[in-house]
Amino acid sequence: MKPQTHRYKEIAREQMTDRRARGFLDLLKALAGKRKAAYDDFPDPDAAREYSRAIRAAAVAHLPQLLEQFEKSATRAGAKVYWAADAEDANAYIVRLAKERNISYVIKGKSMVTEESGLNEALAAEGVQPYESDLGEFIIQLLERPPFHIVGPAINIDPQEISDIFIEKGVMSDATTDPVELGYAARCYLREKFHHLEMGITGINMAVAETGTIINVENEGNIRFCKSSPDIQVSIMSLEKVVPTMKEALFMLRTLCRSATGQKLGAYVSMDTGPKKQEEIDGPSELHIVILDNGRSTIYEDATYREVLQCIRCGACLGNCPIYGKIGGYSYGWAYSGPMGQALTPLLLGLDRTKDLYYSCTLCRTCRDVCPAGLHHPRLLRRHRQKQREKDTVFHGSGLNVREEIGLRGFALAAATPTLWRSAIRAARLAINRKSNGGIVREVLGKSEGWLASRDLPCIGSPTFNEWFRKNRS
Amino acid sequence: MSNPTRDRILSRLYKAQSSAPPFNEPERPPLPAEQMAGEFLVDSFKALIEAQGGCFERASGNDGVLKVLADVFNRKGISRAMASTDRVISELDLPKWAKQKGFTITTQKNYEDRSAFKRAVFTEVDAGITGAAFGFAESGTLCLTASGDMPRLTSLAPIIHIAVLPSNRLISSYERMAETVFGETPPSQLILITGPSMTGDIQATPFKGMHGPKELIVILRDD
Repeated sequence: MKPQTHRYKEIAREQMTDRRARGFLDLLKALAGKRKAAYDDFPDPDAAREYSRAIRAAAVAHLPQLLEQFEKSATRAGAKVYWAADAEDANAYIVRLAKERNISYVIKGKSMVTEESGLNEALAAEGVQPYESDLGEFIIQLLERPPFHIVGPAINIDPQEISDIFIEKGVMSDATTDPVELGYAARCYLREKFHHLEMGITGINMAVAETGTIINVENEGNIRFCKSSPDIQVSIMSLEKVVPTMKEALFMLRTLCRSATGQKLGAYVSMDTGPKKQEEIDGPSELHIVILDNGRSTIYEDATYREVLQCIRCGACLGNCPIYGKIGGYSYGWAYSGPMGQALTPLLLGLDRTKDLYYSCTLCRTCRDVCPAGLHHPRLLRRHRQKQREKDTVFHGSGLNVREEIGLRGFALAAATPTLWRSAIRAARLAINRKSNGGIVREVLGKSEGWLASRDLPCIGSPTFNEWFRKNRS
Repeated sequence: MSNPTRDRILSRLYKAQSSAPPFNEPERPPLPAEQMAGEFLVDSFKALIEAQGGCFERASGNDGVLKVLADVFNRKGISRAMASTDRVISELDLPKWAKQKGFTITTQKNYEDRSAFKRAVFTEVDAGITGAAFGFAESGTLCLTASGDMPRLTSLAPIIHIAVLPSNRLISSYERMAETVFGETPPSQLILITGPSMTGDIQATPFKGMHGPKELIVILRDD
């Protein structure tokens, strides 16, 4: 998927007036309640969330040991493990597997990491037709749109539009706007393809180091088909998905499903340990597990940023974010949206290309409070801002523009020098309050761009708190 | 096992770990339903299966199971079904029972290869019948383990899935299952099923039977 992160503001403005997006985003509030109710079923919900965070922190702390152990166990069970340095490497491996076997099409289960790596485009370029099979992904693939939400990628799309594209692409022949009939049409269309499938591709929710098992969670059954019908299964994970033992994995299933959809467990959880055994009539005789780095080892080298690798892609941070709740998923311009995207995308694409992502945050911490994986998103975003200003070479910080740099340096100097601060405030009050409009200042030097274009500056008080306090403290 | 990309990734990760941190495993908090036993397990299991859109039946012994099956077949208009051959199901001798009742039941062993089996399970049968290795009261979940006697598609491809769960296999939470299942030789696939195939991807409207079964019928067998 081609990043559109530079169009953040433009897309956000457009989305704020989109009626369908609004309708869905309002629904998210109900989901937040459902999520909380699901946690209440733990004897101690807070302890459950803390334990889940501790598991992810421990997994990331021991990442190389766990990856090696996972490789050993999975290989012992008969899987083939492939390490891919970057997206091209992973895509080339999968394309080669398909080409060597003369495979004309593959079906994919929902996988954010293949959105990141652009696997569909790579397969199609080599003449292998990829079909997305999660209903939401299937729809946005036909419409050539990015995911609106990491759990519900097409949830905002008008059924009329789905009907039109289904007819245009031959998925069905009679128009309908009934969501159930549209779902049924997709079922019938993909069923034939599942039946004759030779190679299935899935993501991975968790990889268990102890047993070499890979785990997928879903509601539709499309991932199970991808792992049951064909003779070849390829499952791909970014390298942070590993957990130490089955005990931790089973516990994480509880928090993952509750945080994602408010369910106690997804309709289907499937755990593969190696390919099918000789006597089994279905299931893959070849299981390929691709472990993708694509920038993660660089993130890991930064002891503070490493925390972002704890994310389990549940989407809880999206549902509770006041900004996501206004602008929806398209604005974030790539595979990952909401607070988790704001934390991760700049590290994968570079701080210089993703500036709006880490500035568009009120630092309210709601995301952090609901995160079952222990990410402190606001702290990560503040660090992005700092690294951007410092022109960080590893993550491509590009510095501030001259006006911002001068402004911030001046502010820092004044804030650290009480006498200078007091006289600066008096001078600024004269200059700024003249431009007040109903107690709010939106422009200072005649232009309403830059900082004040998206931020309201209140008038400076008279007296200021400082002046009032000096006068009244006795 | 050694290749340059692998070694490069691992060496970067190892180098970044200033020292291998000790593994201080926090204590696991209490689990939902952990203290549950007896009929409470059944009540919770039934309530949660039904909340997920599944259907719960209870039968006494194998004769009871066959009675429920006959009723389900008639009610749903099932005439052909695919059965697994795991221990719970093979005890029922379903092909013979079906012949007496005027139904057709085959198993994966009736097909010479994968493609013949796939054709039958995708296009010819109205239901799939399997046993279940475990049931979990904490979430209303069934556990199946793939094997030569338990094909993956039998519980997935037909539009109705009927599962028989012996009541002594109904336990509170997943952990006890893992101790026995992930021992020496784990199954190639372990499947947890909580309700029928579902989606809410269009306008958050629930739709059952998205890709897999539209109906899940669980028969709890008391012995």
